[in-house]
Amino acid sequence: MLAPTPTRAAAPFYRPLADEMEVFRAAARRGLPVLLKGPTGCGKTRFVEAMAHELGRELITVGGHEDLTSADLVGRFLLKGGETVWVDGPLTRAVREGAICYLDEVVEARQDTTVVLHPLADHRRELPVDRLGVTLRAAPGFQLVISYNPGYQSVLKNIKESTRQRFVAIELDFHPPDVEAEVVAHEAGVDLETARALVKVGGAIRKLDGAQLREVASTRLLIMAGGLVAEGLGLRSAVQSAIVRALSDDPDVIRALGELIDAVLPRA
Amino acid sequence: MTAVDPQSAGRFRFLASFLAGRSLGVGEAPPGEAAYTDGQFVFVSAGRSIAEQRQEVLVQSALLGAGSLERHLVTALRGRPTVARRYLALEGRRVLANLAAELPLAAAVRPAEAPATSTADESLRVAKGRSAVAEAPAWFGVIRPSRLLAAPAGRSGAQPSERDLRLSFDPTDVPEAEDEGSGGRGGRSRLLELFGNPLASNKLSDLFNKLLGSSRSPGGGAAGGNMPLRTMRRVESVASSARPLPVPIRFTTSGTTGSSVGVGGALYPEWDVFNNRYRPEHCRVFDYPLATPADVSDAAVRHDDVLRRRLSRVGLGPKVLRRRPDGDDLDLEALIDLFVDVQAGFSPPEQMYLERRKLARNLGVLILLDASGSATDTDPRGRSVHDHQRRAAATLALTLEELGDRVAVYGFRSQGRGAVRLPAIKPFGQRFGAAARARLNGLRPAGYTRLGAGIRRAGEILKTEAGTPNRLLLVLSDGFPYDDDGYESRYAEADSRKALEELRADGIACLCLSIGASTSTDALHRVFGSASHANAPTLADLSPRMDELFLSALRELAAPKPRGLRASPS
Repeated sequence: MLAPTPTRAAAPFYRPLADEMEVFRAAARRGLPVLLKGPTGCGKTRFVEAMAHELGRELITVGGHEDLTSADLVGRFLLKGGETVWVDGPLTRAVREGAICYLDEVVEARQDTTVVLHPLADHRRELPVDRLGVTLRAAPGFQLVISYNPGYQSVLKNIKESTRQRFVAIELDFHPPDVEAEVVAHEAGVDLETARALVKVGGAIRKLDGAQLREVASTRLLIMAGGLVAEGLGLRSAVQSAIVRALSDDPDVIRALGELIDAVLPRA
Repeated sequence: MTAVDPQSAGRFRFLASFLAGRSLGVGEAPPGEAAYTDGQFVFVSAGRSIAEQRQEVLVQSALLGAGSLERHLVTALRGRPTVARRYLALEGRRVLANLAAELPLAAAVRPAEAPATSTADESLRVAKGRSAVAEAPAWFGVIRPSRLLAAPAGRSGAQPSERDLRLSFDPTDVPEAEDEGSGGRGGRSRLLELFGNPLASNKLSDLFNKLLGSSRSPGGGAAGGNMPLRTMRRVESVASSARPLPVPIRFTTSGTTGSSVGVGGALYPEWDVFNNRYRPEHCRVFDYPLATPADVSDAAVRHDDVLRRRLSRVGLGPKVLRRRPDGDDLDLEALIDLFVDVQAGFSPPEQMYLERRKLARNLGVLILLDASGSATDTDPRGRSVHDHQRRAAATLALTLEELGDRVAVYGFRSQGRGAVRLPAIKPFGQRFGAAARARLNGLRPAGYTRLGAGIRRAGEILKTEAGTPNRLLLVLSDGFPYDDDGYESRYAEADSRKALEELRADGIACLCLSIGASTSTDALHRVFGSASHANAPTLADLSPRMDELFLSALRELAAPKPRGLRASPS
């Protein structure tokens, strides 16, 4: 549920799509909160990791889910021995330490939870902790980053306007085919030719009408398939297990996708 | 491979959509015919092997994707089979050669020789000329200009709606109801009266009226007087899904009017969209307990576990849970108890948190079941729409009752504005016992669908009898609002929409489910809005997202009004 991610020793690999790194750096210098939009598996988390590493700040990641309460973010009293002890939540910890707090898929959380972010996301930069009766000022270096996937969420769930308007929005998307092939080759450790074939598969699936599949093949799926190839699996069976079966459970859809992929992949 | 599963052609649909760059279906052509496309579907030749069918799909959908079958090109091929064959041979080679760089499959199967042309227009020019053109391989199939041109240009592959399929003569000048008195002086026709009643509408007598050239009769009698003068329009070519008109089936029990069981009925207004005003006290609505004797043995209701689980998640208000192992705040009472226990030498489980979750329901649901004649349409398995809806109503009512909600089930049909009937199958006060279930199973479809009046009455019942803060009207209907006295299309939709507006203003949410309806339910979609309408072949298909449907319908109440309505200061 709550997973603090330690910054890695080596810089995470990220290929910029446009000017998103400059935008993020500028926002970070000003301490402005950032909203990342983009389809599943296009590299939102990786982008934040790369930026946190570049800026030399700690990154604290929280995955959103529908029962995420404000106490999960801010903290709560726990019983330890014979006493109650206050334990900071990930958001409070980031505020105290000046870390980047990344709330993944924040739309999933209940709307009353996102309201906690408001005083942090505007000029006040403070977090009222009502259970302790204190208001914490954000340490320099604290930055709030939230992500959401506009296509994937249902109509019912959307970010409130009042929340959305406090953020600098950065839109991410899948890379153009050539760049994506390089990314896949680098991440999966396969040769460029295999990566190009995988990207072609991804492109073919993304080109289908959205109504037929709920999700398209993300860069992450392509890298997974590439990883299987790097481990010695045949290209076709890697694509079958990592992409086709991952996208659907419906046997008809699987067969139809199989036909499409068979046509796109190089002949054996 | 001779015996190919007829469904198997569907496996190429993603491939075809990918190549054509838009949504495309794949089916099998009748045996003996070569592969072709009509712009919406690619038809592969029946009984061929998968590999051959794949090639057929490849070339046909690649032609669509490359724009070789654009209207202006195909028009030039109409009625000229030789040119069409030559054009196909040239274009097929050209698009496959273009694709070969991108698509390994195209490179593997395309004919070896280089394409002779470089654009579609050039191919057409060469095809019309006299130069020799190499014959196309058999798997290129054929181009059928007539099929390609028959597909309407603007509408891409939409299913024919109920309106398209209905035998209809569009009124081009419907006279106003007010100027009945000033009509012509034609003779009153006995013959027309004969045809006036027995069908679902006056269409047949209108037809005779037109044929016989009769003008309108003087205002005295009903038969000719309200018969509008109309012109006819020929229905466009009818697809294979055309069906005969639904004919209401009348059983003796449906003749039980409200007055015969001693209920006077209530009068309800109706919205007249043409004059932009209400017609006060326009409809008489009877709701009466359905008292038909029913066979209690016939009372099995199918349980739906998915539905139950989903509906149990519908939480509308926050509820504080005490003594939880995990939560937002400490539950002081539990904490003190815990300490007392610990001091006394016990070690009880450490459950001393408060948790707030949206669990409280307080939901009252009225299920309004369409029992009109149109629900006698049957699906391919011979089970009528009404059967589907009745089963769905029973399952929903049972599930909601088990979850502790207040539930009522009412049937609903009409026969003109004077007799809108809502037989109560299970009122709010009663349990959904065997007798009620049997009564529900015994409900037979008859009559028409005056939706507006039904919704108004059902809302009234919900308001007065549900007694819960959250109220939901669940309409199970298959078609569109219609009654035999001019209650149809725009008028009926506007009235139904108005009735729903009134209900929402009163804080009652509405949700409409169309279950088993084989036809498109555009009208209901328009009336209820996309957030409050769903259709599916069976209830089980909707069960997995029933919680979302309920919540979206209930949330509609809390949602802000569209900007345009809110802007004007009053």
